[in-house]
Amino acid sequence: MMMNRRKLGTILLVISAVLILMTAYLAIFFAPLPQTGVKSAGEVMSSVEGSKLQVAGFVSAVYHRNPNRAPDMPEHVVFSIADFRDYMRYVQAAEANHLNQQWWTVRPIDVDSYFGGYVVAGTSPDIGWRITAGTNLSVNGIVTSQEIGPNSNVTGFSLARVSGDDFAFGPVGSFGLMTAPVAQKIFYFHMPSAWACYLSFGVTLVGSALFLKTRNHKYDRVAYSSAEIGIVFATIAITTGPVWAKQEWGVYWRWDDMKLVTTFVLWLVYIGYLSLRAAISEPSTKARVSAVYGILSFITVPMSFLSSRVAPLLQSSHPQVIATSSGSLSPQAGMTIGIAVIAFTVLFITMLIKRVEIAESEEELEELKRNIGEEE
Amino acid sequence: MMSDSWMALYVAYSIVWLGLFSFLGYMYLRQRRIDKDIKMLKEEVSRHDK
Repeated sequence: MMMNRRKLGTILLVISAVLILMTAYLAIFFAPLPQTGVKSAGEVMSSVEGSKLQVAGFVSAVYHRNPNRAPDMPEHVVFSIADFRDYMRYVQAAEANHLNQQWWTVRPIDVDSYFGGYVVAGTSPDIGWRITAGTNLSVNGIVTSQEIGPNSNVTGFSLARVSGDDFAFGPVGSFGLMTAPVAQKIFYFHMPSAWACYLSFGVTLVGSALFLKTRNHKYDRVAYSSAEIGIVFATIAITTGPVWAKQEWGVYWRWDDMKLVTTFVLWLVYIGYLSLRAAISEPSTKARVSAVYGILSFITVPMSFLSSRVAPLLQSSHPQVIATSSGSLSPQAGMTIGIAVIAFTVLFITMLIKRVEIAESEEELEELKRNIGEEE
Repeated sequence: MMSDSWMALYVAYSIVWLGLFSFLGYMYLRQRRIDKDIKMLKEEVSRHDK
């Protein structure tokens, strides 16, 4: 039985290693970088109609293409968007006319009202540079949560219609396509790690519940083995995420981002689970108390998963790629992430088999020690 | 010159590989140590029985 399990573990390990190598190859050479943004304003407006506008960053410049001076050009206004922290950098770049060579830190913000404070940084015959001093802007109850990456090829939205010398907001013009930075390929390991961590903690929940029901210690072994593996995957997810965030957002971490904070809380809660086990020496008490803790702590899993999806919690710039209407992947990217998820699932099963085996050996060792102690 | 974005990708992939291999290595060493201890104790018990 033991040999069979070991053989199975080895076979699964080889399978997961092959799949992970395949994922790395596909992620780097096969899956294209996604283009954020949309092709037309109408595409956005139909999906977000009735909500409030959310702009990724603040409107830092307005390109006003004057139809009288350039009749062949489309009549629209383009917003360039950057984060508040990049405002001065943006101003300098705009003055030096080097906007396309800059990277911008961006983040979505809710825009409720508009105020002016423009500074004219430069003009051309058909394009007037204007740089705002602030963010706020009112857009007739329309929302788009499009985000712009700092390495984006295009950093602009067309979201307004020229109306005389002023502009009015409306669904006209085209949205720029923005290519994500290469670091986006971190996603192919980050997301499966997060998935494997949720799966691990799910197994801990089931194991804990079954232990409380049956008092059979084999379920307790599965529960804590799975929690330990879950922490490994969670650690990978919360360390690779900031590496990507630095490239995409310009900062490693945001304490105001619900997804990040809830995932960090999840990680801490399960560290607490292992600490609790380490603190209790009596086996039955340890199993019983940690089973209760293992069940209660699972609440952090849906909290983490739903924090960027459920409206009351929705204060997150974390991308939602899977299981949302806004998330979309190219077929190549979909295939790559599919293989990655399978790879990490198989790896989780492999690790769980091995970890449970170790737990059994540890108990055998403890029993041997007890027997020797009693004999002496 | 390698861009920051490529460097970030390599760093993140290294974290993944290092994390996974470290844990697998840790499990392997732990199992080996426990097996060794069990074997030693069993030998001790059999010696004691004789």
